Amino acid sequence: MKAIYKRELKSYFTSFLGYLFIAFFLLFIGVFQYLYNLRLGYANFARAVNGTATFFLLLVPMVTMRILAEEKRQRTDQLIFTSPVSVERIVIGKYLAIVTVFAIAVAIVCVYPIILHNYGATNYKVAYTTIAAFFLLGCTYMAIGMFISALTESQVFAAVVTFIVILFTLMIDLLVQMLPTGNELALAILIILAVIIGVITYVMMKSKVVTGIFLVLSVGGLIVAFLVNRQSFDGSLARIFGWLSVQSRFSLFMYGIVDISSYIYFLSMIFLFVFLTVQAIKKRRWEA
Amino acid sequence: MITVEHLVKQYGDFRAVDDLSFTVEKGEILGFLGPNGAGKSTTMNMITGYNSATEGDVTINGFNVYDEPEKAKRCIGYLPEIPPVYPDMRVKEYLSFCTELKEVPKKERKAEVERVMELLHVKHMQNKMIKHLSKGYRQRVGLAQALIGNPEVLILDEPTVGLDPMQITWMRKLIRSLGREHTVILSSHILFEVNAVCDRVLIINHGKKVIIDTPDNIIRTLGGTNGVRVVVRAGEEAFRTAISGISNISRCDALDEQVEEGLTAYAVYSSDGGEIRDRIAAACAKRGIALFEMNAIQKTLEDVFIEMTGKEGDTK
Repeated sequence: MKAIYKRELKSYFTSFLGYLFIAFFLLFIGVFQYLYNLRLGYANFARAVNGTATFFLLLVPMVTMRILAEEKRQRTDQLIFTSPVSVERIVIGKYLAIVTVFAIAVAIVCVYPIILHNYGATNYKVAYTTIAAFFLLGCTYMAIGMFISALTESQVFAAVVTFIVILFTLMIDLLVQMLPTGNELALAILIILAVIIGVITYVMMKSKVVTGIFLVLSVGGLIVAFLVNRQSFDGSLARIFGWLSVQSRFSLFMYGIVDISSYIYFLSMIFLFVFLTVQAIKKRRWEA
Repeated sequence: MITVEHLVKQYGDFRAVDDLSFTVEKGEILGFLGPNGAGKSTTMNMITGYNSATEGDVTINGFNVYDEPEKAKRCIGYLPEIPPVYPDMRVKEYLSFCTELKEVPKKERKAEVERVMELLHVKHMQNKMIKHLSKGYRQRVGLAQALIGNPEVLILDEPTVGLDPMQITWMRKLIRSLGREHTVILSSHILFEVNAVCDRVLIINHGKKVIIDTPDNIIRTLGGTNGVRVVVRAGEEAFRTAISGISNISRCDALDEQVEEGLTAYAVYSSDGGEIRDRIAAACAKRGIALFEMNAIQKTLEDVFIEMTGKEGDTK
């Protein structure tokens, strides 16, 4: 793991990608800081951080698209996957390397509130809890991006899909407002979603039994729940999709709310997607 | 040392490897021989645990590759068809990365890098970027990587491809010497190479085992013909008349072969496998035909290989 991590981290700084990532990141946050804190005179540094979060859309695919595809292209995957290092440790090593590149950028940003403090009152608590949330948000997006890059051999495809997924999580709050709130419609849409997930499971696992059990349990469960308590379906779509909104969990910090559950949410998402990446790689090597 | 049992690799409807079983003993060099697409690389990828098998098992040094992958992989050094090198790394840097990856104890890493660099003669290139190396040097760096940690088993996929003739000879010698301490599987489609380097040969075609034996045994059992090559100073007509009296001759062909001025070579086959050389000699002497050479026709490994794998005409 350490070997993979060290090599990977070094490669970010021999190939300019790491510098490019940090430079763009600091550029974006600099622009927002200038705009909010210096130009508009807000004392809240969190606003600048919040504005920058949108740019994960561009910055994350840039580093995650090549994370696994590059090894495949160079055929060096044959070296690392035949070494006595497990897939788990390879993935974690690679993930920690991009997180470190991001952490370097965030560490530089941590100096900003201190500088701002010289020219007025800065709420350190708000500033640093927001920066911490921002860091975890970025790490979550990177885990998602890494998972997507594990699914495909094409770097372009990985970048585009990551872009779309992040865009979706940014827009989800808007979309939620458009969702119908009626309970029958909610049931119908949830059943359709269950069927779609069932089809995906079948395509990925090729097991009729597992898919069958999943469909019976999920669709049956939904119908039973609906019959027992139909009111609980009111607005359920908005709740479910709202839960997926990575962004909304981040914006709370801007208003001075230290939401520990959001930290835990981000950490669980990171864990989930790192785990899924490992599974995707194992499965692909099973087929290849 | 290496046991492969009923190995199968299925890609959809296509069976790339079909029920392959063999064992390799400690200190043995096994050659994998087969036309392109016969399943050599696929089998090697399964032995090294890079890909999984659809069915079957691979055991290295007592460790099952799929059940105890880390332990099994520790015993293997693998040089894939394309050397797995990072173009943006320097030779020495890459090899020290490999020592770390292969969990060589920290204190021994430096010495290990030096050892493999010396063995493969890449020491003078140690500070060069791998992307600036020629194919031959990349191949050497790739092999150096496989030798790191001195693994008991070496799996080498076409180790001499892309090397110049000098390097090929050197590489063969090196593999031969490695075979004294390591168990080696190497693949090739160059028959001469397999014959020169390997203790045993496994010929595979369409993913199936055709034969596994020593090169000599393969030639002895499959290479025997009933033919005799005869070089005489005589016209075809005269020679045919001379041997027409021998009862157990089935065929006589004039060979399209360059021999000395005025001489002609013929291939003469007996119908029952019995000795005909003495009779041919006697017949020639009787007719006053000068006999220059006579020897039994032996098939080469190449002939056997083509016969066993080339029936569908896809041999390359």
